[in-house]
Amino acid sequence: MAGRKKGFQWRRWNNLIHRDLGYLCVGLTVVFAISGIAVNHRADWNPNYDIQNTIEPLEQILDVEPGSSDFNKAVVDQLDFSGEIRGSFRQSPTEVDIFMEDITIKVDTENWEAAIESIKARPILRETNFLHLNEPKKWWTYMADVYAVSLLLLATTSMFMLKGRKGIKGRGKWLTLIGVAIPLVFLLIYF
Amino acid sequence: MKNVALALLVFVLAACSSEPAVFEGTTYGQPVSLTERTDISAIAHNPTEYLGKDVLVEGTIVEICTSMGCWMDIASDREFEKIQIKVEDGVIVFPVSAKGRQALVEGKVEELDQTVDQAKAHAKEMAEEKGVAFDSTAVFESTKIYRIRGVGAVIAE
Repeated sequence: MAGRKKGFQWRRWNNLIHRDLGYLCVGLTVVFAISGIAVNHRADWNPNYDIQNTIEPLEQILDVEPGSSDFNKAVVDQLDFSGEIRGSFRQSPTEVDIFMEDITIKVDTENWEAAIESIKARPILRETNFLHLNEPKKWWTYMADVYAVSLLLLATTSMFMLKGRKGIKGRGKWLTLIGVAIPLVFLLIYF
Repeated sequence: MKNVALALLVFVLAACSSEPAVFEGTTYGQPVSLTERTDISAIAHNPTEYLGKDVLVEGTIVEICTSMGCWMDIASDREFEKIQIKVEDGVIVFPVSAKGRQALVEGKVEELDQTVDQAKAHAKEMAEEKGVAFDSTAVFESTKIYRIRGVGAVIAE
């Protein structure tokens, strides 16, 4: 059979790797990107938890020792909370912290006020941050390494996907150079 | 056979002599290896004696960094007293939901020698992490803070 002898079709393999690796990385990229934006602005907000602080007046509880189980129960009952009281801590002779699931009640026995701090995990963000900041450790560490290597492969293969004017020899080289220059400029300014 | 018996004897002796402190819960960071607990009140009473030493302390978690879970305060065995456990950012992340639970922590006692500006910056950072307002008009003094640089912890379920 007559025909041109085919060598190793590197561009075909390059594009195939780029395409399939791209599909595989969609989920991971979404996780890292969402968390990346959330954590990037953590000076302005808490990316993991929604913390609400309120102050409620309390009726005086005089017949029991502050911090005792009877005292803690009386405070929780007054505030209409239900659930297990984990424990308490006396910050000072006039301050008692009472701990419940995701709720801390700071009782001021001088002014008879309760500062209530309730913490709620932000849905989706808490989970994506958990993965992005490698809280699970163990096997997730290696999975994140695999993802990082995949990103390197995606970047490398992207440069050789097209031939001609739109490829790396054409406008591709200028866009690549701009991409390389961006972090360098910021390093020159801030480093 | 003789070798197996000898190995077993060595294993049993080693297990008896350095059995880690028993505490059920989730481990964060390195597993706890010290066997003897130190009272937090003893460290607070005479911090220079413990400076640079590895200690194992136990107490109720009374505060946790809500921003990154990179520190927590645990209550002392003495009233109105607590100690801060600081861990490397991202290496150990204490869950905010653990507030009020019992913790066993291993680490090294360290000293923070703060200037007035550093004390003010530290107070501001703590206020931000606790989600409370920072009083910029408060007067700060240069101070020494003693805390534990935690390497491992077990938090009860």
